[in-house]
Amino acid sequence: MAMARELIDDRLDDNIFRVNRAAFTDEALFEREMSEIFHRCWLYLGHESQVPDHGDYIATRLGRHPVFVIRGGDGGIRCFYDACSHRGSKLTGRTSGNAKTLVCRYHGWCFNAGGDCTLVRGGDEAYRAADLDRLGTDLRPIAQFGEYKGFLFGCVDAAAPPLDDFLGGAKPFIDLMADQAPDGMEILRGESRYVMEANWKFQTENSTDGYHVATVHRNFATTVGYRETLAPGGDDGMAKTEASRILSLEKINSGGYDVGNGHMINWADRGNPEAGPSWPQRAALLEKYDPGKVKWMLERGRTVTVFPNLLLNDVASSCIRIWRPVSAGVTEIETWCIAPRGEDPDARRARIRKYEDFFFPASLAVPDDVRAMEGAHTGSQALDDGWNDLALGHKTLVDGADAAAQELGVTPLNSNPGREVETPFFAFWREWAERLSS
Amino acid sequence: MTITPAEAAEFLYREAWCLDNKQWDDWLALYADDAVYWAPAMVGDEGWTDDPDNDVSLMYMDKAGLEARIFRIEGKDSYATDPMPHTAHLVSNVLVRGDADGLVADGLVQVSATWLVHAYMRVRGGTVRGGLYEYALRETAEGPKIVQKKIFIHDDRIVGPIDVYNI
Repeated sequence: MAMARELIDDRLDDNIFRVNRAAFTDEALFEREMSEIFHRCWLYLGHESQVPDHGDYIATRLGRHPVFVIRGGDGGIRCFYDACSHRGSKLTGRTSGNAKTLVCRYHGWCFNAGGDCTLVRGGDEAYRAADLDRLGTDLRPIAQFGEYKGFLFGCVDAAAPPLDDFLGGAKPFIDLMADQAPDGMEILRGESRYVMEANWKFQTENSTDGYHVATVHRNFATTVGYRETLAPGGDDGMAKTEASRILSLEKINSGGYDVGNGHMINWADRGNPEAGPSWPQRAALLEKYDPGKVKWMLERGRTVTVFPNLLLNDVASSCIRIWRPVSAGVTEIETWCIAPRGEDPDARRARIRKYEDFFFPASLAVPDDVRAMEGAHTGSQALDDGWNDLALGHKTLVDGADAAAQELGVTPLNSNPGREVETPFFAFWREWAERLSS
Repeated sequence: MTITPAEAAEFLYREAWCLDNKQWDDWLALYADDAVYWAPAMVGDEGWTDDPDNDVSLMYMDKAGLEARIFRIEGKDSYATDPMPHTAHLVSNVLVRGDADGLVADGLVQVSATWLVHAYMRVRGGTVRGGLYEYALRETAEGPKIVQKKIFIHDDRIVGPIDVYNI
């Protein structure tokens, strides 16, 4: 197995930052990523709006552990390993559903939505009371479960620092999505799960990569532009997509940040912010928040990539994406559209159509991203000593905050003007190497 | 206004033929100007989104959206769409359902069918996915036109792109 530190050539004083392509393809390294990253790190589980009522649950995985999130009778949300205390059968039968009582389909043990075992079938006759105490019949909660502004996270490592510390410098950028609605945000109905035949870290890079947009998504921009010529007036107002900026040769006020703990930000000023579906909230938001924060919410498109596998994308529409490693060469991706509760119908419709245009495996953009990442994975197998040079933009990298970060009142570790830079990736790769080397 | 089961089947086969043979203009001509092309997304394990204004669909497009899809394919600038896969649509169980869902009130005929599509591209090999079609057809002087095509895609862990040519 390659050693992670040896795969990162981090000599920025000499203007060099390179990643060896074995980082994407080494199977033994993948096993270490599962144990040292996915089984130690806080990972995104879902949004509280997906479990509004007692017994509502969503079944998912934390690394290799099957887990489920459920709303208890006391209104609290918890996360348990998805395994019967008896003999380990998976308890939830669906990807999401409602069960005030979870009944194991194998031998009939029952649990309430708070995780208490309420029935050991035949147990009174077969066990002494002390046996049941010894067995520990209640469901096992995961080591740590936390919520940040409706976003639910879990961690199977009891020794990991608290969620607040982990999210750290990403929080003000998560707030830009979470605080957009006076009544909070909700996940819209409609699921999408798709498979990419490439390493999961290609998706981490791609999610914060402003450099691929003008090539991979040139087709998105020309296609949407063509569609607008077919329906003159039909795509005005909020229905208009700001695709033309993808093709623009003008310098766009934009940038990338390292906000610590491996979290990365990429942003660009919107060309036509009033076409954004959250624009109608502007007056209400200005009453509540600093003008700088509202400017960031409504006038800047953002990708917020939270280490290791979460993206909050607020550009033409608003998308949550996670990518779960299956093997070194296969990744399962899931996305959701998030929107303000009680949103104006025109804004809601525009948000959904723009979401469908870009964020699904049936869209005009994601399929091209997936092929680009699969092509990168295939090509990365070609050279036994191939290096990806990520120094693009290092010339303009500055410590601390740029003018835009100051408008939000935050101080990234470093800033870089321009969206076509690769320097935000340093944040991810340094965290990756650190965790695999500890 | 009626459409016979044989006419309905031939019409659906013609659409499949156009897609599998990449006869895009002929394919677009099968759609009425006010057509809606709709692939709902899954909700849980058994349900589908049913309100395109409040739920997310995999695809929800008007005819301009369909024409844009062809523009995307023919431009050869979409990495996912170049090279184009070979596709083979199998359309079966074609059933003229008349006013089953109350569509006849608008002078439309509802036709249901089952589909499987085999798609082959060298980088990925062959993929097969399947589902159901619900058509609403309008009889015109030029023959039937599609006013709505609703496509239920049964795969919920999607391998490879989904586009108008492979569902």
